[in-house]
This record gives sequence, structure tokens and C-alpha cells, in this order.
Amino acid sequence: MEAVHGHDHAHDHHGPTGIMKYLTTTNHKDIGSMYLWFSFSMFLLGGAMALVIRAELFQPGLQIVNPEFFNAMTTYHGLIMVFGAIMPAFVGFANWLIPMQIGAPDMAFPRMNNWSFWLLPPAALLLILAQFTPGGPAGVGWTLYPPLTIQQGMSMDLTIFAVHILGMSSIMGSINIITTVLNMRAPGMTLMKMPLFCWTWLITAYLLIAVMPVLAGAVTMLLTDRHFDTHFFNPAGGGDPVLFQHIFWFFGHPEVYIIAIPAFGVISQVIPAFARKPLFGYSSMVYATASIAILSFLVWAHHMYTVGMPVQAQLYFMFATMLIAVPTGVKVFNWVATMWKGSMTFETPMLFAIGFLFLFTIGGFTGLVLAITPVDVQLHDTYYVVAHFHYVMVAGALFSAFAGIYFWLPKWIGKMYDEGLGKLHFWLSFIFFNLAFFVQHFLGLAGMPRRIPDYSLQFTDFNMVSTIGAFGFGLSQLLFLYIILKAIRSGEKAPQRPWEGADSIEWTMLPTPAPYHSFEKPPVIR
Amino acid sequence: MDRAYGEEPRSFMLVSRHNNSLSSTGRSAVLGSFVFVSAAISLAFALHGAWMILPFAGAEIAILYLAFRAIARRAGDYESISICGDRILVERWESGRPTRFEFNRLWVQVIVHPGRGGGAGALAVRSHGREVEFGRHLTPEQRAEVARTLKNQLGRARRS
Repeated sequence: MEAVHGHDHAHDHHGPTGIMKYLTTTNHKDIGSMYLWFSFSMFLLGGAMALVIRAELFQPGLQIVNPEFFNAMTTYHGLIMVFGAIMPAFVGFANWLIPMQIGAPDMAFPRMNNWSFWLLPPAALLLILAQFTPGGPAGVGWTLYPPLTIQQGMSMDLTIFAVHILGMSSIMGSINIITTVLNMRAPGMTLMKMPLFCWTWLITAYLLIAVMPVLAGAVTMLLTDRHFDTHFFNPAGGGDPVLFQHIFWFFGHPEVYIIAIPAFGVISQVIPAFARKPLFGYSSMVYATASIAILSFLVWAHHMYTVGMPVQAQLYFMFATMLIAVPTGVKVFNWVATMWKGSMTFETPMLFAIGFLFLFTIGGFTGLVLAITPVDVQLHDTYYVVAHFHYVMVAGALFSAFAGIYFWLPKWIGKMYDEGLGKLHFWLSFIFFNLAFFVQHFLGLAGMPRRIPDYSLQFTDFNMVSTIGAFGFGLSQLLFLYIILKAIRSGEKAPQRPWEGADSIEWTMLPTPAPYHSFEKPPVIR
Repeated sequence: MDRAYGEEPRSFMLVSRHNNSLSSTGRSAVLGSFVFVSAAISLAFALHGAWMILPFAGAEIAILYLAFRAIARRAGDYESISICGDRILVERWESGRPTRFEFNRLWVQVIVHPGRGGGAGALAVRSHGREVEFGRHLTPEQRAEVARTLKNQLGRARRS
């Protein structure tokens, strides 16, 4: 008998088991989970490096590590956290949520999706191997500025290759997200009906496609300067190290938004659910996100006011940078307006979302301070900058990731986390985060430079407070791991809609937990 | 499409296609915007001496083009079932590859396999031990509707 069986029969959950299941899976949920676990393991590794930095800075003088190793820790902490932890975390969210939120069965290119994940572990391995190469790990900072990078040992080459591989993974992931969001929306799911998370990822994917070749080109030119006698950036051969800074920050500033914009998407889903009101100003949120993305291409040189540039350029970059506060303000006001007169409850996802809102706004304001050229000339490369970007990256992106994980965990695994422990995790994270980083504003204002293992005696007290906060924050994340494992092993069964205000289609049209294949047939959205 | 060269006219035809939310114009516009932005960025840096961004931008756009081309090929996929004189034709077009199955109109049966959850599962036409599925892009409700329509049409054709 010749028979051609239906899609829903052919894709029943057969196939390899064990490790081969994960090596070969093309299911967006499996791949999303792998991204999230990978990201968490990188978060712990990068966090351990941060604790080495903070332990050394607990007291003035050199106690624990030598300066070269300290520099390596600052370098790899930054690279691992940005490329290994935060970016993959949001790609994990994208994999899990985009098909379920637009009514698609999977991503547009499932095999490419598998490949883009499996490029990450080799890249992480290269970054880890770089610690053990002859000449020691590179201590150049995550910005990889030449000419120092040209003078480093073999670890620099491994780092460059790792950045290349991570970039390839990002490009493939972006292509998948763009094609999925644009081409696989269910009938009736118009662009302006999509949940905001999908919008933010569509815009982020555009940014990634635009800037990843810039990073790839930059690190390749570093490589050829190191080994093939080119002189793009080597002043000894007539090259221009400042050109590298322009190229790097042309990638690097949009990169900040590549991390922040999906975080905005998560928050835009969580706040309406717990305020029990629709998101205020949906379309203005979409346009504000797009405006932030466009502006992010026009402000890169505010990271390099001190390298020397014409005063007209300084003025331009100062005003252009301040302009970003307008669409960002639109978003913050819309989130606040969504909560206004809402029937709010404060479960863990909402606590992290409000924590995000409060702390990210502080990070935004200190960004405005740093945008002012004469102020930045004073504060450049001080701990004020470190405090600023940790408010954006940790309290912004990481808190949003926590909010998202607590929010969607019941949908993903069909079990509830321990609410009491979740709230404890939030309060510990919130308090210790501020203990670690708020005091760094004072250190920066007092003139303590970043990326040094030793400092003058007058900075001691605030550094001690910061180190205590950092260790408290780090240990609190082990509680997060415990909460997740406890939920997976013995969490209470989640109801169909654990959050009554959650109204996107993954909550209203799919069972909890979500089935292995979400929408085998596209739902009709009205 | 209703009538291939040398064939009798088709008295009934149903076509089922993939859901594609991006039109071919949309595909061109999206790809064009990427080409424009990537070219502008990489050429601007090339003019300042950093020409090595160009090949990466080119490679990326090439991959993006291949992805959009794959989507365009899939967008053309369809299944059709038609009554053409004494024959029932099931035709498929998948990634540029056509497949065609023919059945005798008087012998063919329309089968709806039970689906998970009680709805309509796979819809198929069967005759002389051959069974070919139809309506893989349809929802269970749509498959049940198509099955009713097909049975009516076949009944009408047999009575005429």
C-alpha cells in the first residue's frame, strides 16, 4: 500500500534519545532550552570571573591575583557575559516564544537553528582554552583595542576565532528569526497584532545583521595585523588604532541595544500581565523600539570622546546620544502608564520587571550624564562607567531575563516554581546588586579608574561594600538555580493560565505545558 | 492550471497552499533593505581603509539571499485535487518538484483518519490499495470540510 502520512503523524516524538537527541534536534523548544542552559552556565563562569575581580579589589594592594591575570579576568568576564550569557539567553527566549506567539509550528529553518546553537559550545571552549595558552590569557579588555591586541600571545587568536564563531551563530539566528517572524505568522496575525516580544526580536535581528559583519571585519583585521604584516591598526606600520575604535563601537553601541531591546520585549509582556491591563501605547512602543535601533547607529563615538575629535563631532555625538532618551522615555512612560490604575499583583516576574524599570531608568540617567562630553572627559574609564553599564546590562537585561524565565516557566515545563523562594531571589538580587554597583558611581566620581587591580587607600570602603554586594549577588544566583531545579523536579502542576492577565496566544491557544509541536496547523487570529 | 494541454476540462478543483505571511514584494523589500544598509556600512568603512568588512557583509547578504530564495520556493508549494473526466488527480508541487497521482473516479474512496483529540486526522483518497494524503496544510476542521465537499462531488459525478 502506498500511503503518504500526515504531518502530525510523521513528526511524532520519535527519533534519537539521550545526547543524540540534543545534538540533532531541530525542535525550537529543545533548542531554546539548550540556549538558556548554555547561557546560564556561561553566566556562572563569567560571574566567577567577576568574583575574582571583586575579591582582588576588596582591599588595596595585590592580594590574590597578579595584574596580568586580573586584566584577563576583566577581558573574559566582559566577553563571556556579553556574547556567552546575555545574548544567548535572549536567543533562547526567541526560540521558545516566537513560534508560539505568532502561531507557527517551528522556526523557518530548523536545521540552521540547530547549527547556530551548536556553534556556541566550541566558541566557549576557545574562550576557556585561551586562559591556558602560552603567554597567558589576553588582558586587553572586551573592547579588544589595538595596539595592545596586536602584542598579545596565542590567546588573542583563540579569542578572535571565538568571536568569529559567535558572530556566525548570531547571524544564522537572526536570519531564522527574521524569516520566521515575517513569513510564518498565522492568518490574521498582522505585524501590529504581534506580541511586543516578537517585534523587539525582529528589530534586534535587523541590528545584528547590520553590525555583525563590522565586528567580523574588525577582528579579522586584528588577526591579519598580528600574523600577515598588514597595518590596519598598527601605528608602527602607519596604521590607525583609532580607526579600530570607530569600527568596534559602530558594532558595540548597537550591541548594547541588541541586548537591551529583547529585554524591553520581555518587560512589555510581563507588566501588562500583572497589571491586568493591555500594554499602554502599543504602536508607540513599536515605533520607539525602531527609533532606538536606528539611533543606535548614529552615536557610536560617545564611547571615545577622549581619543580626540573635532568639537563639532563631539557636539553632534553628544546631542545624538541625548536624543535616544526620547524613545527610551516613551517606553518607560508607557510601562508606567500600563501599571497606572491596574489591578496589580506582585509575583516574582512582576517584581523583577519593576526592579528592571527602576534600575534600568537609573542606568539610562547615568548614560545621559556620560553623554555630556565635558562630563565624560572627566568620567571616562572610571568606575562611574562600570556602574552605568552594569545598571543597563545586569539590572536591565539580566533582571528582564529573570522576569521572563519566572513568567514563562509554567508554560515551558508545566510546573510552578516556589513563589516564596522566587521573591527571596528577587530581593537578594535587588539588594546585593545595588550594594555592588551603586557605590561604584561614587568611586567613579571620586576618580577611581576601571581595569586596575590596585587603588588608592581612599577608595577602600566603597570597594569593600561593592565586593560584599558582588559576592551576595553571585551567591543569590545559586538560589535561582535551586529554584529552577526544584520546579523541574517537584514543582506543583501549573494551571492552564497561571497569570490571569497573560493574553498572548501561547497562553490562550496552547495547553500548559506547551506540546512538543506547538501549532502544527496555523491558528486563525481575529 | 485548470486545464493542462491535451487534457479534458476539470469539473472540480481544490488547491491547498502553505500559510505565507510575507508576499513576494515584501521579500524583495526586506532583502533590498538589508542589501542597502549592509552595502552603505561596509562601503563607508572601506572608504576609510577598513575594506575587510566588505567580504563579510557580502557573505552575510549571500546567506540571507539563499534563505529568502528557499522561502520563495516553499511559498510556491501547493497540493491540488481535481476531477478531470473519469479521473481524480492529486498533484503536489514541493520545492520546485511536481508529483502527480491519478485514480479512477468510480473506484476512489475519500478517507478521513481519526486524529488525536477526536478531530479529523489525515485526509486521503484511496483506490486499489493505493492511498495518497491530501490537505496537509489544512486544519482538522478544514480537512473535514474538504472531505465532505469531495464526497459530494464524487457522488454527483457518479450519478451523472
